[in-house]
Amino acid sequence: MHAPTPLARIAVPPPRPDETYTTTVLERRFAFTGLKALLGAADLSKAGDRVAGLAAPDEVTREAARAILSDLTLRHLHERPLTNARGEVDSVMRVNYDIDQAQFEAVAGLTLGELKDRLLAASPAAVAAIGRGLTGVMAAALAKLMDVHELILVARKLKPSARARTLTGVRGTLSSRLQPNHPADNPDGIAALIYTGLSMGTGDMLIGINPAIDTVDNVDALLRLADRIRRALEVPTQICVLSHVKTQLACLERGAPVEILFQSLAGTERVLTGEFDCTVELLDRAYQEMASRGALAGSAENWMYFETGQGSELTYGKHEGMDMTTCEALCYGLARRWRPYMVNNVTGFIGPETHLDNFEMIFSNLQDHFMGKLLGLPMGMAPCYTLHSRTGIEGHQMATQLLAAAGANFFMDVYLTADRMLAYFDTSGHDDQTLREVHGLKPAPEYLRWAVARGIFAEQADGTVERGPNWGNPRVFVASEAEWQRLLASLPAAHGHDNVGPRPANHVSRRLRANLAVAREAIHAELDLPVVEGIALRWLRTAAADKASHLNDPELGTRLDDELRRHLSPEGADVQIVISDGLSAEAIHHNVPDMLPVLMDGLRARNLRLGQPIVAPLGRVKLAEAVAEALQSRLVIMLIGERPGGDALASRSMSAYMAYRIEDGHVLEHAVRVSGNPHIRYEYTVVSNIYAGGLPPLEAGSVVAEKAARILDRRAAGNRLESLMREG
Amino acid sequence: MASARDVLLLGLDFGSTTSSLLLASARLEAGGAGGRSALGTPVVRFQPDPVFTPYRAEVIDELALAEQIDAWLAPAGVGPEELFATGCLVTGLAASRSNAAAIAALVERRFGEGVIARADDPCLESWLAFLGSCEWLSRAEPARAVLNLDIGGGTTNPALGRGGAVLATGSCFVGARHFRFAPGSYRLAGLSAWGERLAGALEVDARPGEEMPEAARSRVLDAFISALEAMASGAQDFFATPPGSLLAQVPFTPGTLPADTVLAFSGGVGELVYRLAAGEAVPGTTHYGDLGIDLARRIVASPRLSRHLRSHVPEHRGRATVYGITLHATEVSGTSVHLPDAAWLPLRDLPVVARIGPGSTPAELAAAASLAARRPAGACLQLVDDAGLGRDALRHFAARLAAAFSALPSTQPVVLLCAGNHGKTLGSYASDWGRRGPRLIVIDELPDRRAHFCNLGRPRHGVVPVSFYGVG
Repeated sequence: MHAPTPLARIAVPPPRPDETYTTTVLERRFAFTGLKALLGAADLSKAGDRVAGLAAPDEVTREAARAILSDLTLRHLHERPLTNARGEVDSVMRVNYDIDQAQFEAVAGLTLGELKDRLLAASPAAVAAIGRGLTGVMAAALAKLMDVHELILVARKLKPSARARTLTGVRGTLSSRLQPNHPADNPDGIAALIYTGLSMGTGDMLIGINPAIDTVDNVDALLRLADRIRRALEVPTQICVLSHVKTQLACLERGAPVEILFQSLAGTERVLTGEFDCTVELLDRAYQEMASRGALAGSAENWMYFETGQGSELTYGKHEGMDMTTCEALCYGLARRWRPYMVNNVTGFIGPETHLDNFEMIFSNLQDHFMGKLLGLPMGMAPCYTLHSRTGIEGHQMATQLLAAAGANFFMDVYLTADRMLAYFDTSGHDDQTLREVHGLKPAPEYLRWAVARGIFAEQADGTVERGPNWGNPRVFVASEAEWQRLLASLPAAHGHDNVGPRPANHVSRRLRANLAVAREAIHAELDLPVVEGIALRWLRTAAADKASHLNDPELGTRLDDELRRHLSPEGADVQIVISDGLSAEAIHHNVPDMLPVLMDGLRARNLRLGQPIVAPLGRVKLAEAVAEALQSRLVIMLIGERPGGDALASRSMSAYMAYRIEDGHVLEHAVRVSGNPHIRYEYTVVSNIYAGGLPPLEAGSVVAEKAARILDRRAAGNRLESLMREG
Repeated sequence: MASARDVLLLGLDFGSTTSSLLLASARLEAGGAGGRSALGTPVVRFQPDPVFTPYRAEVIDELALAEQIDAWLAPAGVGPEELFATGCLVTGLAASRSNAAAIAALVERRFGEGVIARADDPCLESWLAFLGSCEWLSRAEPARAVLNLDIGGGTTNPALGRGGAVLATGSCFVGARHFRFAPGSYRLAGLSAWGERLAGALEVDARPGEEMPEAARSRVLDAFISALEAMASGAQDFFATPPGSLLAQVPFTPGTLPADTVLAFSGGVGELVYRLAAGEAVPGTTHYGDLGIDLARRIVASPRLSRHLRSHVPEHRGRATVYGITLHATEVSGTSVHLPDAAWLPLRDLPVVARIGPGSTPAELAAAASLAARRPAGACLQLVDDAGLGRDALRHFAARLAAAFSALPSTQPVVLLCAGNHGKTLGSYASDWGRRGPRLIVIDELPDRRAHFCNLGRPRHGVVPVSFYGVG
């Protein structure tokens, strides 16, 4: 078994002070201080890098940065490890230096420009060998010098394969991860999605469920469900439930069938540890644990599954001054340590704050695929989008066509593109089959044999593969129509199972697209709240000047407008209600008129002092804290529209975030002790899914009033409140 | 508010001929997708073979039954405290034995507060058999009526449904065990009271200890088939004849059945029917010591009764009642009920004293409150037609309820059952946010059941389990 190099034995050159890189373009002088600034400016301009102040302001500046970068040698980059805010090399960067030293020395004297030219001319084996000598930063620097064709051409030379239960990543194949997510982890709904995917020939890479509820009990149950279905149908693939690595290890301890171990990675240690609750050491232990006790121990050669995507470090404000592409490349340099079975890139998932439009999303995906492949990873791609960005289904499909041309190992299969749990949009089984047909690709060999035997595919005498008679018909996996209808009854947004060729039938597409259109409209609608039952509302402004800045820079919506804030004074109410559109004004329009009067009646009945309700358009959840600070309210109830997914009705879903301002003294001490966070000042209890199809607003009013009273009575919210309630 | 966990359900079915146990796990989704709470599709965890119901003289042998329950549960390794709900059904002839109530009490002692559903009424049996056998067959073709005939040892329980919901139920004394034989022969071992009356009405020779002639058996089976065919067509004529009137227990009056009504079977005889239709082997004649196998053969031979035996096969092919009691007898509330104090539950054997609606007048509500007042241990009101109740309508209705309840003592439990998801808000306004009136509990998101009694269990995992009996 491969043994990761102990962290302490990975040699990293000592950090150096930033240098200033200069050049002149047609008498215009450009200067960049430090490698981070240079790398940021050399990339195409993307929303996240613009917010971070790293993107070049114009094309000439970008080309100037690229010119400088082209002339730097690999050794120059090697000798200048990028550091965190304290000037230290963090553990992620350190792992990136665990490279094949001989391969590095062979190219160390080349400039990045020269290396790029060499990669374009080299054989696939030579490109793969060079990749083993590169760090993530070097891969990122190369990506910034390449155009679309070059990103595709070089990546296409590389097709790293991996073996768990089955062998995947063989040339000539295009695999898929079947993602049967359900908003309540309903086993019938999940089974319906698995059968649907399998009938379309997807899931040869993995059947992987993102759990809605990340508890050991639930993840254990989902693992056993997926295992039961896989065994019953004898599908030659592997299963995974994508919970936190600690949860999966606890399931493994209980004997659950953990075949592939999942974890999200980040390009900086502060995000990996502080946000993902994960360390290199933990992953080392998890890797060893799976090697000895995993469900495929002894037969699999690879068993780790990582997910990454440009922008997470930036959205957490912990990118250490590095641009999104560089952070992403560092994830790959980290992932390489555990020889993963699969790496999946989900660039586009976060929203317009990282990738504003189709173009930014598509280009970033091509960069990511190139960098991952160059660093030796079995890269799968999940170009995806959310409805609050300027990306859509057409841009997504263009991305998949380009990535299929570039030789991506796998895509997702999200039924009809809309993930019912995560409220985002990804590749579908129809897309996977379309791409296979357009690019002449097949599923993984063992899976293909299974699918041919079941009439899903038909193999022709000349070796080509076509759709078989059972393609797209999930009923072949159930005993009766009655059983299929029972499963289907648990599946939201099931717009139909009729197909034409590899595509959904037109009437299915129309229903899907109409739902998307309604959901998108909910985001872009302006907040317009009439007076409800004579309740006087006061309107406040956030720091977001308009809808565009609200969507593109979430931080603005967490603050009150500076001038306005200066005019606010402490009111000392027990409860302050704040209403904001967040990401769906329609959610407010459809729920607040019914909910607000009930909520206020319920709070008054408990003799609580209420502040005059506030309407604050273009707000985010954390605005609750800004209001609580300004008005000195004990509890702020933030009624805010949720990010719409692919269901028209659910796009009107609202949440009530109850932000409790922790009092000084023993309450604060207790909160610090329970949370382990010395800086904690607010605790949150959330009631979500408030809409006609979930918790109706009339009922939500009394539910939230009761919870608010409990929070104030117990002087605690969130997990601490739950824990106090259990103790009685 | 969404949560999910697996819970255990136990069902016990004590029938005329055999008794069964089923242990299943089901996912309890509380406030998940769509907001509703529900028990998901159960997975059978443990299902021992049915045993003959132990009789001593003419009554069920309680001691032997207690030992049997222990013998069943020992290998399952499940304690009463682990059960989310237990259902116990005493059916057919067993329900008419003098100690049927004692059997149900035995189960309650054995499983304590976990027992939420207990039933010995024939229409509930019909209802449970339909859901246990035909629910998804019916949902698969929602526009088409499905008639399930649950044929056991003592009774046949018809239930007509559409789209997975039961529309009409009934019961008649068509059953395999009214004539008991020495297994493997037609030597009559005994007759039920209905068997004796039927033999008299049909003028057939049926004397215990003697062989029952083929012609006599045929006349009995003819009568049974006539009754079944009458039910299958929705006709009442046969039940007006002398033998027919003897067989009727609870009239089945579904009206004219559509020509394309799907006919399905369950129960011990129903299971045999599907085995015969599939060409599978069945035990020899009177193996079970009754007419079950002969009746099943006659059903298969009847063109009117056998028309859907191969095209529409229900789930479980017959063992519907134990599935029904295990999986369908317990309903779960929504997650946001109005229950100011969890210690107010459980409440057992609450009479449903009135059905009220948002449009009920103050006088009607006062009358309902007055009926409730006569039950100091608790009474139940069913709120119907409350779907889509708007903000103003809800508050006005709550105000009328509060006025009607104002005279009730503060210790009086009053349970309001409703289908809409507004239990907490309705209860809050009707009780002035818990400050006035009786101990009002509002349980929401329950299907409308026409029942005479209900049981409410303790809140478990954020929901309240509820069962009904006295259906019809």
